[in-house]
Amino acid sequence: MEATTIQKQELYYPLMSEIIQVDHLTRTEKRFIISLPDGQSLGHKPGQFVELSVFGFGEAPISISSSPTKTGQFDLTIRATGRLTDKMHHLKTGNLVGIRGPFGNGFDVSLLKGKDMLFVCGGIGLAPLKSLIDYTLARRSDFGRIIIVYGTKNPSEILYPSEIKVWQERPDVEFHMTVDRPDVNWEGKVGVITTLIPPLDLVVERTVAAVVGPPVMYKFVLMALKAKRLPDENIYMSLERRMKCGVGKCGHCQINHTYVCQDGPVFHYPDIKRLEEAI
Amino acid sequence: MNYLDTITRMNLHEKYLLTSKQIPDFISFLKTQGAVYAAQKKGEQSYSYQYVEDPANVVLDYPRTIQPLKKFFLPPREELLSFDYQNNSYQKTDVVAEKRIFFGIHSYEMQGVLRLDYSFKKGNPEGNYLNRRENCIFIGVSYEPDEFHLANALGIEVENTEGLSIYLEPVREGYIAFVIDEAGQNLIQGFGKTAKVTETIHIKEKPAKAKIRYHYNRLPKVFEHVYTSQVWGQIAKKCLGCGTCNLLCSTCYCFDVRDEVSLDLQSGTRERFWDGCMLNRFAEVAGNENFRDELSSRTRHRLHRKFKYLTEESGALHCVGCGRCSKYCPAKINLGTTINALIDDFTEQQKLKEAY
Repeated sequence: MEATTIQKQELYYPLMSEIIQVDHLTRTEKRFIISLPDGQSLGHKPGQFVELSVFGFGEAPISISSSPTKTGQFDLTIRATGRLTDKMHHLKTGNLVGIRGPFGNGFDVSLLKGKDMLFVCGGIGLAPLKSLIDYTLARRSDFGRIIIVYGTKNPSEILYPSEIKVWQERPDVEFHMTVDRPDVNWEGKVGVITTLIPPLDLVVERTVAAVVGPPVMYKFVLMALKAKRLPDENIYMSLERRMKCGVGKCGHCQINHTYVCQDGPVFHYPDIKRLEEAI
Repeated sequence: MNYLDTITRMNLHEKYLLTSKQIPDFISFLKTQGAVYAAQKKGEQSYSYQYVEDPANVVLDYPRTIQPLKKFFLPPREELLSFDYQNNSYQKTDVVAEKRIFFGIHSYEMQGVLRLDYSFKKGNPEGNYLNRRENCIFIGVSYEPDEFHLANALGIEVENTEGLSIYLEPVREGYIAFVIDEAGQNLIQGFGKTAKVTETIHIKEKPAKAKIRYHYNRLPKVFEHVYTSQVWGQIAKKCLGCGTCNLLCSTCYCFDVRDEVSLDLQSGTRERFWDGCMLNRFAEVAGNENFRDELSSRTRHRLHRKFKYLTEESGALHCVGCGRCSKYCPAKINLGTTINALIDDFTEQQKLKEAY
């Protein structure tokens, strides 16, 4: 057997990392700013994820919501929705969490240079896209137009209100937002996210769309983008699966022959168009 | 398959006679060389690979064990690390690679281990598995295929010696030990009490009882065309979704990772457990969205993993035909029958294509 001739890897040991800031974003979402030991940088690509763990509560894949241009620390935006994420919401600045990664295939920013960027963010899908939005804003002159389309269920679920305020005010960012169910104070648009797409004035040849949202959203956003005649080659999306190991072994994130933790979570749409069970 | 070729090939190896009386002695000798594991009686009609305390308990003539060998390399429950809850620190759990000798295993079982080797070496080679795989010696034995064994039909003949160090073939006086590699040679020489055999051994053909309608090398082609087959729905009508086929599969290795907290709430362990793609929550994500919530899609996924997805990468079928999924299925779903139904579906499609 050649078992001894290949480089064996220790795959499952986390780096104990410190929570250096906690921001309350909504009733169910918090942002955790985390620093790795000894000031190491995570060295991630926009769109990648880490395996986050709290001892006794397990481990889960969480996408990185800050740009790699911000070094020495990174952000995780976490919705309290299970054992581990509920526990996370009880942790405070100074607490340690386990981090493995970064894992997966992020956005290849070299292919996006010079393009008009269209971000289609449904609900918490804004969190993984924020790593790329922040990246394009940090390298603003590398990109054409920056168009952000964001939809949430209701106004109380809006993530990153302070960043959104900046995006709304910047002349070089086109920001559009809608909510499904308005409250009495809501003055903005009402409707599902796909209602924001038809009015956009896009130069489709140079527009690249990055789409992330709940599973039910993809089909309808793709239809709306098709109606705008945006070519499939110009669409990237990130898929949600429960990547347990992050290293292509455990099988949980597999779609047909594709391991989302290895080949994704960011996919070029033409590559998964014919992949059953993908979206 | 030409049996004369098998006889010729096998007789190229050095041969020794281990008489029936010598077998327990040989096992005792093996125990001085490493920890010996072999099939032993579990119930009246069932067998299990266990550590050999008493060589007299070792069974060499058995149809199959309940569980495959994978349990020794990918334990059903495995500690990855232990943590101190209070200090938020952890210790790595060492994987000790003791020397182990697996005595009296069937060729499909060895092939199953070789398939697992592939899965754990590819991409990110996993230390936990690979450390356990080191320092292992495998001694094979012949078997009589029963109605569940598909190994022969899938291209793994009874006398396939890949990965083995010694192969045992029963004869009137006991067993002929064919020496396959250096490790096997060292064991035979170390034991020293066997007589070398020079005449040709006429290995008896062990015909397969279960048949597949196509040659096995056509199966990947079949699986390119049956993704939408109605066969998946037909199986789903019988399948209970219990996951037995995953757990007993020689080559299934999917797992879950969970933290177990000790009763004092001071410490705990992070452990991995066998999981299975036939279980209903396997492909579930946050918000209870389940990408394979139907039994038909789960069955399809499982069999595509055996005959297509991994096969496209490795070039080998990842079903080794051990027959466990058929033998132990509580709903009596038979893999051979399923494959033949898929082949029928494929043939029907081809006929239609030709007609138009």
